[in-house]
Amino acid sequence: MDQLLAIFVRAIFVENLALAFFLGMCTFLAISRQVKTAIGLGAAVILVEGITVPVNNLIYTYLLREGALGWAGLGHLDFSYLGLISYIGVIAAIVQILEMALSRFFPALHQSLGIFLPLLTVNCAILGASLFMVQRDYDFVESAAYGVGVGVGWALALIVLAGLREKMKFSDIPAGLQGLGITFITAGIMSMAFMAMAGIEF
Amino acid sequence: MDNESPLKAIMVVTATALVCSILVTVTAVSLQPIQRAYRDLERNRHIVGVSGLLEVTDDVPDRQIVMAFQGLDARLVDLDRGVFDDDVNPDTFDARKAASDPEFGVPIPAAQDIAALGRRSRLVTVYVVEDADGLQRIIFPVYGKGMWSMLSGFLALESDLNTIAGITFHEQGETAGIGDRILAPNWQARWRGRKLYDAQDTLRFRIAKAAVDPAAPDAAFEVDGLTGATVTADAVTNLVRYWFGPHGFAKFLDNYSAAGDTR
Amino acid sequence: MIRARDALLNPLIDENPVTLQVLGICSALAITNSLYSALVMSLALTSVLAYSNVVISMMRRHLPASVRIIVQMTVIASGVIIIDELLQAFAPETAKTLSVFVGLIITNCIVLGRAEAFAAHNRVGISFLDGIGNGMGYSLVLIAVAVIRELFGAGTLMGAEILPTVSNGGWFEPNAMLLLPPSAFFIIGFIIWGIRSWKPEQREQPDFAPLAADELRGD
Repeated sequence: MDQLLAIFVRAIFVENLALAFFLGMCTFLAISRQVKTAIGLGAAVILVEGITVPVNNLIYTYLLREGALGWAGLGHLDFSYLGLISYIGVIAAIVQILEMALSRFFPALHQSLGIFLPLLTVNCAILGASLFMVQRDYDFVESAAYGVGVGVGWALALIVLAGLREKMKFSDIPAGLQGLGITFITAGIMSMAFMAMAGIEF
Repeated sequence: MDNESPLKAIMVVTATALVCSILVTVTAVSLQPIQRAYRDLERNRHIVGVSGLLEVTDDVPDRQIVMAFQGLDARLVDLDRGVFDDDVNPDTFDARKAASDPEFGVPIPAAQDIAALGRRSRLVTVYVVEDADGLQRIIFPVYGKGMWSMLSGFLALESDLNTIAGITFHEQGETAGIGDRILAPNWQARWRGRKLYDAQDTLRFRIAKAAVDPAAPDAAFEVDGLTGATVTADAVTNLVRYWFGPHGFAKFLDNYSAAGDTR
Repeated sequence: MIRARDALLNPLIDENPVTLQVLGICSALAITNSLYSALVMSLALTSVLAYSNVVISMMRRHLPASVRIIVQMTVIASGVIIIDELLQAFAPETAKTLSVFVGLIITNCIVLGRAEAFAAHNRVGISFLDGIGNGMGYSLVLIAVAVIRELFGAGTLMGAEILPTVSNGGWFEPNAMLLLPPSAFFIIGFIIWGIRSWKPEQREQPDFAPLAADELRGD
């Protein structure tokens, strides 16, 4: 239990995908003008990360890794080189299914999250989380905790950045720095704040 | 044919999948031997590094590493019986893989599984360094769960089978800048001369919480801690203690030193 | 001819994918703490980009809309796997440093972005040039950031000492902060500032128009 909590908390703060690994930056910078949209995108990310990381963990454990096909009597095969293409395929499929399921069963939720879902297939934060899961050799339960954790961490960073950008309407920003430039610098300062938690080891 | 017909979509997808899978598989399979050879060379570089035969720096050519590695005597140790087992060929035996093999693998009792391995192989490869004066060092593989992923390396013992001659880690994924300081040569140098067991044969080795006070009674068994990297340091302590504990090499060390060498 | 030159050179400054279109900065930031990894990454991305643009341009008349994205992703992912395997075989040390970031080229927005925006509507030759051009635009930013970070963060370039550091008996006290992630944000922010001061037409409208004084007084 302690181990899971540690993975979860580290994924949110210390190893924040957006601010420590710079993953999902394109969406991160583009969709952070308003807190309201940021919350929508954040929720979609938590949902997608929470599903894709454990599912990819199953794919990796039972199909791809060396000896994974032992249950089918094919223990000598090693398909790990197909990892990248499998994970991105799984992510694309899950995002698609999620979109269809939401529009069918939760139309209200689909209206608020729907527009963000297609963006997430090609979001590096989603694929990155699965790759880190493989690199760190998490088991199924750990990968579920990690998936939700990175989702929450990414959403948190996004919402905070959107809040800061909303406040910037009161600031007089040099013309050349307007928009993208100042957003980068704000993200840098946030990243420094998150780094302060890097010394925490559980 | 109409681009939007379902048949066309299926055809395009199938053709893409076929071409891409052939391309990817051919590349992966044909490059595998090179990747494997490199991995082995990299590991051997670490083994030669702690063998004391050769000062290994980045400039040492691969050929020299291969030659020095061939000079080492790879032997399999049967951990349960604590003796060498020469029936299996150590050059092709992979103890990490064998752990999940029903023929060689054994589960580790939970109370003893401090390195969080789950299973280990009954046979493990060690490298014996001998010269005209007799036994110089034995190099033992050690591995266990680190902060993020498997942490594995080699620990060399002097001929008394108690004094550490060197440590090296060839596979690690510790936090950059914090836990990965276990790779620093000056930290690894502090392992030299430390002892694993005390006179009563109790395993006392550990990584301390901070710098070790040379006057402390435990100083001979402790290596300076790494500030901020408590988890990594504990993982290192645990994997050394597991592999040199009763479920690891302890029995072999007892037998081997009782057979003539002094502890 | 002019079109070919534009496809190749425009992405360098005028339509730089990183600083203007906010594409592909994920990897641009994380691996720029050493010039060598930045160079290898640039090379890997430029080859994937050229390859995917060419292949997708060849297929452009046979791509049903319903499966367009997934087919493009498959083509891109295969290219990335091949590059990754090649790196692991011939530059394993670098492959280790770049870790997951080679794989993340798949989701690099530049690659899919150029496939969608350019290769899907243009002929093979010009798509190839567009791929190389955008790859170079990306590389330019990456290399600039990496030079600043490695030179002032460690006093070295490509691992060779340029500014002798104090710890090695020199005079230069490296700013280790530059090796940490946040510095990359600042550097790219300043690069954007520089480019936009030089080319004012790239400036963005303010996110929020400043409030006039009488609006602030409120009720």
